[in-house]
Amino acid sequence: MTAPAAFPDESLPEGSVVDGARATTPIEGAYDYVVVGSGAAGAVAAHVLAASGATVALVEEGPWIKTRDFGESVSEAFGRMFRDAGTQVMEGRAYIPVIQGRCVGGSTVVNSAIAHRTPEDVLADWAARFGLGAAIDARALEPHFDALERDLHASPVSDAALGSKDRAFLGGADAHGLGARRTHRYEQGCEGSGRCFTGCPTAAKQGMNVSYVPWALALGARIFVGWRVDQVVVRGGRAVSVVARGQGEGGSPRPLTLHARRGVLVAASAVQTPNLLRRSGLRSPALGQHFQCHPGSAIAGVFDDELQARAGATQGAESTSLRQTLGVKLETIALQPELAAVRIPGVGRALMHRFGVYSHLTTWAMVLRAAAEGTVDAAWGGRDRVRFNPSSSDMQRAVRGVALLARMMFEAGAREVWPGLYGVPATLRSIDDVRAIDAMPADPRHFSFISTHLFGTARMGLDPRTSVVGPDFQSHEVRGLYVVDSSVFPTNLGVNPQHSIMAMSRLAATRLAAGRTRFNAAA
Amino acid sequence: MKLSAFENAWAGAALGAMFPGSGDVGLCGIAAMDVAGFLRQMMQRLPFRAALGLRAAVWIAALAPLFELGRATTIARLKPSDRERLVVLLIKSRLYVVRSLITMLKTFGALLYAGDASVRARLTAPSPRHGLVPLRLKRAGRT
Repeated sequence: MTAPAAFPDESLPEGSVVDGARATTPIEGAYDYVVVGSGAAGAVAAHVLAASGATVALVEEGPWIKTRDFGESVSEAFGRMFRDAGTQVMEGRAYIPVIQGRCVGGSTVVNSAIAHRTPEDVLADWAARFGLGAAIDARALEPHFDALERDLHASPVSDAALGSKDRAFLGGADAHGLGARRTHRYEQGCEGSGRCFTGCPTAAKQGMNVSYVPWALALGARIFVGWRVDQVVVRGGRAVSVVARGQGEGGSPRPLTLHARRGVLVAASAVQTPNLLRRSGLRSPALGQHFQCHPGSAIAGVFDDELQARAGATQGAESTSLRQTLGVKLETIALQPELAAVRIPGVGRALMHRFGVYSHLTTWAMVLRAAAEGTVDAAWGGRDRVRFNPSSSDMQRAVRGVALLARMMFEAGAREVWPGLYGVPATLRSIDDVRAIDAMPADPRHFSFISTHLFGTARMGLDPRTSVVGPDFQSHEVRGLYVVDSSVFPTNLGVNPQHSIMAMSRLAATRLAAGRTRFNAAA
Repeated sequence: MKLSAFENAWAGAALGAMFPGSGDVGLCGIAAMDVAGFLRQMMQRLPFRAALGLRAAVWIAALAPLFELGRATTIARLKPSDRERLVVLLIKSRLYVVRSLITMLKTFGALLYAGDASVRARLTAPSPRHGLVPLRLKRAGRT
């Protein structure tokens, strides 16, 4: 691994980063736009607005962990960069972990940077059911996808970064008659360290922390790091400022007040955004409703060959062939030893024995486009509470998806498959054994789901009774208040959402910069 | 929130049974690591509810000999083979809340155990062939 002289998150313009942990006095300032959240949505919007000549302040709750400080320890990474130290869960019949980044760059720092354009069938659905056709269609989004792919070097995983686990997956999918491909990711010079989840150590992954955030700062934007936004202040029906709290030097809270002359853009994620809007006085009946996600379940396989589960791009191969039929996406996933240890079944001597074949292990995942909807609200103590139950139909598809993945593993040459499902043998030794998965109950408590893709809690639409923002991303209730993250997506996608989130945000910010604060279909 | 000395002893016993180490595989046990220090750090870092969940998991493991083995004692007083039998039963429990909390405990143990430099080095080193499971069938679709 060759470290460059300086990573893009170093040598930032003087005074462009204001750290809440070092604040000694209350801070107040005025900008054209204040953007809440520095993840995929916030960073892109800030960059577009700064490039248009506007003054921009970004506010981020988490710290800025620099590339040079990314370590291998998953435990450290969870503590520093993940919301609730990686323990946030959705509540329902089963507790499903919800993994979110909480640092400059948001989840883009800890995901695999997978780029999928919004599927056309999804856009058609949004047009038909939510009236977004004229505002949010493929034609409107195309220039933004083009620009993002150019800026962030979206490309298929290279030969050098394609791991053995990915080659095995491509072989298994082929044997099963499924179309599969190398994942398209935002990266420049990925060396396949398999460390996307704890922060890319070479800045090859084009997370927002090494791309749009530093680029926005270079254009004059300022970022306030380590400040939690309490509310957007609304006066006369218009968003006028943002009030936040920093921990302050010595642990004493320091207030931050940022006045917004032209608008406030909320990009705090589908979990945090609805509660921030509630704290700001919004009362839309759709707020916090219609939460959707993509629960995922990983299985492990043991091969003759040394696959080195963590070698290669973290997620180097995928299949979306079944997205519109079974509603699942299949993909590889490199797990660092700590995370693999969780997925390896059993405890005691059985677990130790299984550790012995770690280098022959690979993990693949099934990601479900769940049709069920949940809610986000504020629980006791102001905690964000997500409630979600996959439907019975979702669970039946999940069972079929995992069974398919297990069969693919055997077809790719696995000696054993460890499905990690309650009530199913811990070790499957033949493709015939997969029938145990077919026969398992369609019950979320039998799975070890994890969810990372979150949508819909401030959804977009024409009707203020059923949606929170209009097609111009502006709140139906408050002028000058825009929501630009995946909260506004009326439905989930069935593919990784980062590209769509960035394109939607870029579209919103471009329209704002052009002065088109109300969408005009004729324009 | 922090664990008391006896809760640390219970947690150490449960995690020691989950990650006992193996001479055959060349892995040390988690008992050789600073389990109490790691848990102290976790309890400080975790939000209240997660810390409460971790504490509940420790108590379930501690008192499980009574409802799983019919023995009025704690996990820390069991001999190692019984501790292992106990955690195997707990992680397969029919009660979702029990198995999910014990899985949570295993997760924290895994963060410490597999994060250890010597364990990490062993796991990521090329595996000796004898470590492989025996082949039980011909590869499907291949001759």
